[in-house]
Amino acid sequence: MIQVDHLTVNFGPSVAVRDVSFSVTQGESFGLVGESGSGKSTILRTIMGLNPDWSGSIKIDGQDTKSTSRTDLARRAQMVFQDPYASLHPRYVIGQAIAEPMRINKLPDPEKRTVELLDLIGLPGQFRFRFPHELSGGQRQRVAIARALALNPKILLLDEPTSALDVSIQAEILNLLNQLRRELNLTFVIVSHDLAVISYMCDRLMVMRNAEAVETLSREQLRSRDIAQSYTRELIAAS
Amino acid sequence: MSDTLVEIENLRIAFPREGGMSDAVRGVSLSLGREKLGIVGESGSGKSLTGRALLGVLPSYARISVDKMVFDGIDLTAASPKLRRSLRGGRMGMILQDPKFSLNPVMRVGLQIVEAIRIGDKKLPKREAFKQALAVLEAVHIRDPERVFSLYPHELSGGMGQRVMIAMMVVREPDLLIADEPTSALDVTVQTQVLSILDELVTRRGMGLIFISHDLRLVSRFCDRVIVMYAGQIVETLRADRLNEATHPYTRGLLACLPTIDGPLDPLPVLQRQASWLEARP
Repeated sequence: MIQVDHLTVNFGPSVAVRDVSFSVTQGESFGLVGESGSGKSTILRTIMGLNPDWSGSIKIDGQDTKSTSRTDLARRAQMVFQDPYASLHPRYVIGQAIAEPMRINKLPDPEKRTVELLDLIGLPGQFRFRFPHELSGGQRQRVAIARALALNPKILLLDEPTSALDVSIQAEILNLLNQLRRELNLTFVIVSHDLAVISYMCDRLMVMRNAEAVETLSREQLRSRDIAQSYTRELIAAS
Repeated sequence: MSDTLVEIENLRIAFPREGGMSDAVRGVSLSLGREKLGIVGESGSGKSLTGRALLGVLPSYARISVDKMVFDGIDLTAASPKLRRSLRGGRMGMILQDPKFSLNPVMRVGLQIVEAIRIGDKKLPKREAFKQALAVLEAVHIRDPERVFSLYPHELSGGMGQRVMIAMMVVREPDLLIADEPTSALDVTVQTQVLSILDELVTRRGMGLIFISHDLRLVSRFCDRVIVMYAGQIVETLRADRLNEATHPYTRGLLACLPTIDGPLDPLPVLQRQASWLEARP
């Protein structure tokens, strides 16, 4: 579903991601874990075409992202950001925010679909008339997920989806994401610094450090501590 | 010096809202010795407000009422603004969550520490203050204090920034340190490091510490006692090493809803909030 080969991302003179390769199959949930600055979010943003300066190849559904138009890419993959306070337009009501991608892509009947989406993520339809500041953090993150699902993408790229939330709300959002992945047969790439969240959510994971991939593990390997790199052990010990 | 450093009885904080007041803290009582006390709760539970009330840095529109608020024998309810101002920074310090927002972005961090020192002791020669600032940077395990001294906040990593914040707060050796989510913005590996530095300083200098966090497990590893707050009230006080014996359903729910590396993959248990938790407690 996603095939990343020899990806290198530069920010001016500094290298944010160095020669990273991984692949994610249809319906799989893949985790990227590491400290801040290790390049994990940069990979997500590059997949979505948000970084101009990169080399290597990224294929989504067999199609090279360099030759894919932005709208086409947006219909295949969508991103959910860390901070739901910052990622929703403060002067758009929720309904507008969710319908915006549908309007850009000229999909039919955005109003009806907005209500369906709100229902899907567990908020009453009346919420479409509210502003983001009238919602709690968890509710906002639900809205961000609904917006990401508006174009029926096959892939969700989740950048620290729960680290701005309380632990009690985190559980609700993680449960919701798992349920959506099952029901809609989605493919996930989840970035997190929290190994516990990754171990709970992901079938496989890649540990990153200083712009490079340290190792890739299956959940079983992580749980049986079948680990080759000492850095991964350090991370487990710190969690 | 008495054993009890802080005593608060029946603290209430309310904010004006459309059509009345909304209560944010509803009758919190606690006492603190020279120990590490954790306050845990979700956002909006009133944990940060409690810490801020003690410092006296709540916004002017907040309505505060308290039966008793004593810091080391000083009655804070009767203290003049001037006295409270001199306590802040001097005998009470506060570490905030995110060094990015708490340090002055256009001032070298070393000079910010020097400023903190010289506010406390205006007669101290500059040279001496510089020396103290370098020493305290070393005390928070910054390897190259001379270099870090002349950096700007944006040139520091999160962990380094937070250590600078801690340095600035401990340099005047306060008796009480209030740390409001001091490690939430940091990576797990750095988190442990910052916590052990904090622990070392607090233990060595015999400070009282109020550690405010939403992370129950972290707090229980680090503190002696833990207060759990829900909707402006204390629902439970626990010894940190006896967290697993928590009886209140809210505390138990908070513990259960965390995923663990080796935990089951079933849906996580979600907190079922009960209206009875909101009722006044005896």
